[in-house]
Amino acid sequence: MFSLNKYRKKSPWILHYNAGSCNGCDIEILACLSPKYDLERFGVINTGNPKQSDIFLVTGPVTFRSRERLIELYTQMPEPKVVVAVGSCTCTGGVFRDMYNVEDGIDIYIPVDVYIPGCAASPELIIDGVVQALDILEKKTKEMEIPFKLFKEATTKKGITSRRESALKIGENDEKN
Amino acid sequence: MIEMLLIFLAPIIGGFVYGFERIVRARMQNRQGPPLLQPFYDMLKLIDKQAFIVNPYHSILGIMHFFTLWVVVAFIILGQNLLYVIFLHLLSTIFLILAGFSVKSIYSHIGSNRELLAMIAYEPILIMLAVAFFMINGSFDISAIRENPSSIFPLILLFLAFLMVIPIKLKKSPFDATEAHQEIVGGVEVEFSGVFFEFLYMAKWLEYFFVYSLLVLFAGNNLIFAIVLALFTFLVVNLVDNATARIKMNHLIKIVVTIGLTLGMLNLIGLAYV
Amino acid sequence: MTQILLILAPIFFALIVLGTNVSVRNIFTIVFVTLLAVVSLMNFISFDIPIEISTPHYFHSIFVFLDFLLLMYFFWQGVVKKNSYVSLFALIQIILYAVVLILTPSLMSSDILVDKVSSIMYLVINIIGGIIIIYALKYIESEDFTRFKKNAFIALLFLFLSVMNFIVSTNNIEVFFLLFELTTLFSYILIAYRKDETSLLNALQALWMNQIGGVAILLALIVSITQYETVYFDILIKNIDTAYLLPIVLLVIAAFVKGASIPFDKWLLGAMVAPTPVSAILHSATMVKIAPYLMLKLAPAMSGFVSVTVTLIGTFVFFTASLLALSKDYFKEILGLSTIALLALMMSLAAVGTPEAIEACLVLIVFHAISKALLFFQAGILEKSFHLKYVNDINGLINHSPLVVFFILIGFASLTLPPFGVFIAKFMAIESLSNEIVKNPLYAFALVFIALGSVFLTLLYFKVVTKLFAKDVDAKARHVEISAYYTVPSAILVIFLVLGIYISFDLNLLSGAEIIVPVILIAVVPLLFATLLFKNAHRVKEYNCGEKDEIKLSMYYFHMPKYIQKAIIITAILGMWILVIGVLI
Repeated sequence: MFSLNKYRKKSPWILHYNAGSCNGCDIEILACLSPKYDLERFGVINTGNPKQSDIFLVTGPVTFRSRERLIELYTQMPEPKVVVAVGSCTCTGGVFRDMYNVEDGIDIYIPVDVYIPGCAASPELIIDGVVQALDILEKKTKEMEIPFKLFKEATTKKGITSRRESALKIGENDEKN
Repeated sequence: MIEMLLIFLAPIIGGFVYGFERIVRARMQNRQGPPLLQPFYDMLKLIDKQAFIVNPYHSILGIMHFFTLWVVVAFIILGQNLLYVIFLHLLSTIFLILAGFSVKSIYSHIGSNRELLAMIAYEPILIMLAVAFFMINGSFDISAIRENPSSIFPLILLFLAFLMVIPIKLKKSPFDATEAHQEIVGGVEVEFSGVFFEFLYMAKWLEYFFVYSLLVLFAGNNLIFAIVLALFTFLVVNLVDNATARIKMNHLIKIVVTIGLTLGMLNLIGLAYV
Repeated sequence: MTQILLILAPIFFALIVLGTNVSVRNIFTIVFVTLLAVVSLMNFISFDIPIEISTPHYFHSIFVFLDFLLLMYFFWQGVVKKNSYVSLFALIQIILYAVVLILTPSLMSSDILVDKVSSIMYLVINIIGGIIIIYALKYIESEDFTRFKKNAFIALLFLFLSVMNFIVSTNNIEVFFLLFELTTLFSYILIAYRKDETSLLNALQALWMNQIGGVAILLALIVSITQYETVYFDILIKNIDTAYLLPIVLLVIAAFVKGASIPFDKWLLGAMVAPTPVSAILHSATMVKIAPYLMLKLAPAMSGFVSVTVTLIGTFVFFTASLLALSKDYFKEILGLSTIALLALMMSLAAVGTPEAIEACLVLIVFHAISKALLFFQAGILEKSFHLKYVNDINGLINHSPLVVFFILIGFASLTLPPFGVFIAKFMAIESLSNEIVKNPLYAFALVFIALGSVFLTLLYFKVVTKLFAKDVDAKARHVEISAYYTVPSAILVIFLVLGIYISFDLNLLSGAEIIVPVILIAVVPLLFATLLFKNAHRVKEYNCGEKDEIKLSMYYFHMPKYIQKAIIITAILGMWILVIGVLI
């Protein structure tokens, strides 16, 4: 059958979220989009809108204040989607590991597909990571992917699936998960 | 027959223009840029995505925006009444604006609001354009305009005014405050996703077709001049897009209404005396 | 003879309705309205040549007596209600009217002259006006009046129809003056119907402003008698001397007053305090429609300077009234200002005077009446059933009452979008003005005013419509019962609008494709609403940067500084003076 999967690879649109990063990795991500590295030649657009994105680029170690937003944005991305953790903090917590106001890496909250190390991650590595993420994206299905925490099962009423309330606030059913 | 084919292919032609434009813009910035077929890759990818909706009204109005715009383009190709085409285009914009307002989203509302304000700026110029063509050709029919010789010299002022309308319609700097991707996340289109966003994406291609087919009316029956004019405008618009920054919405309205309307009025009065 | 029937029958109906109980009154009213509609329709269909009817001489004595009685009443009202303007203008009119009676014109014609335009006006008045009366049956029941006062309200509306039927058939300016004053009287009584303080104030304002029109007509009469030896429209227009257009200009000013053009717009906006059927009948079918009708009557006599100036004033008012409306929040006020705008457009189209412009004007009169009646019905429903007055509060009405939303949507769409009548009229207006620019470049300004004004009006209507659509997905629907007396008249008007599309197709106002395509596009939307639910798609929340806080969205406004409002009024007054002084020179 004619498969549309290969086109996923050709037009990856990026959502970039800063979960409490020091802005080092953010600048490197923007450098990738600039004329020198020119990510747009792969069809990459930085949409800034979860509803139209395929790749979720997260930087930062996930501070307490950013957790809800992270989940909310993740659930608002349509499948198939991949998550790329950019920078050491995002992968493991980095220099912020075990601090009182920081979670150690985003994989505590959402499933991560590609880890990009480095403090800050260099543009070459980021491009390499995004290209690897595209291979994963090609194989993914349209099944709903769910975060590990702060998540309530989506409800289906009269055949209509509602994800409106699936991302929870901290404290709202938090402990159950 | 060729007209039917053209109508059918209109979004695809617009898509090519868009793809080409992305390359041209990249080259102007000393980049390589995406491949020519990039818009179609995007389109095919969007079909494959999980469909999200906020509410049914929103999605339906977005789809209606696309189809109405297609009808507008079809009417231009078939050589219908120019004034009517402009009003029908207004209808398509209204569908989009209604879509923007039908969801409880801040960005969508701001985007719709700006779209409405931009309409104040460009709609009178388009109407004056139609009237000026009528005064020269004695008919509002696009087919009649296409049969007569080029009217760019008597309409030079309106042509300049129309050059100001193109960036508004195509969301180009300095008049792209309606979309403003970095500030209001694309304005009206923010809540669309998957297949539904695809309709908006293709509507953008049709907008290219619409604007450039209005532009070539200035060239009349001279095909070579039409091509030269379109290419020239294409380059100018992209050059300006790359060289300028976005201006605020109220400045947009002030600039376009004062300069555009004055140019249009002068042209109309001039035509009346000549 | 049907004309006489149309004038006299409503008076008879009014008397019957006055003394009956509710159910009998309702049945009678519906029957009477149907009768009037049928008679006016028959008159329209069988109409071929202008009909002239002469009235016996003693009628004139009755009219003179009535006139003096009326003016005395106005004077007395001014004294009792302590409003010096009212008594002043009444006094001026009494003196001027006495002067008119002293002068004796020599050229005579018939008193009643029914032409094509009149027969179209009959249709508008009787059918749309009749539907408004049916709507009023239920509406007035929800008011806090005595039984007699409720019946009297319906009776008054019938009398209003009678006067309106007469005014569009008369050929005698003296009779026209009497009827003009009678409509002023009716509007005065109806606006003050609720008897509270604001109603009374606004009613008095309407009274004195409309009397300016009366003064203008009397002056026109004096000039016409001294200069042209006649009090008849047809002779005046036939013998008109292009160098001496003063009587025409004075009548035009009377039309501007009746049409509530800026700077005379205050009275029509003040009329909002009256029960909604009054607003509906003043705005759509009767009263204000005298203005474009008078303009159409005078159109053949206007030429050169007068025609251009009136067109410019009219289009200027069209533009500014739509601009002013953007800064308003009160639903009825928005409708009122858009009425003022469209009336000004009608008047300027009539002043252009080419056959195409006149056709556009007639189309506008008919379809504006239908759309505005429909919208005022909805304003009444919102007020009575939902207790909503301000546009900002109608957020997400589509959850509670899709039917009302549908009616409002159709109403607004019919005022702006193809293929509805008002759109066609605007379209024809631009076409006819483009033809005229070559003759006089000043028409280019009129054209730009129309272009800008129609964009502003679109903005205005869709500002309201978007509010209806702003659907809050999680909100619970609130079921509200809406009486059939409200919905059926609205539905009939929607049917008229659809019929109008067919008629404009029939008259070749637009080509087939130009009408059918938007019909399909617009009709498809509600059908899709009803059928498509996108079950496979997932419902998600709106994008809000990942925040989960509740947001509240309100309507946007356009700030209108005081000095701009003043500038608009001064410009309009200046325009009137230029008109008068220009003609005198």
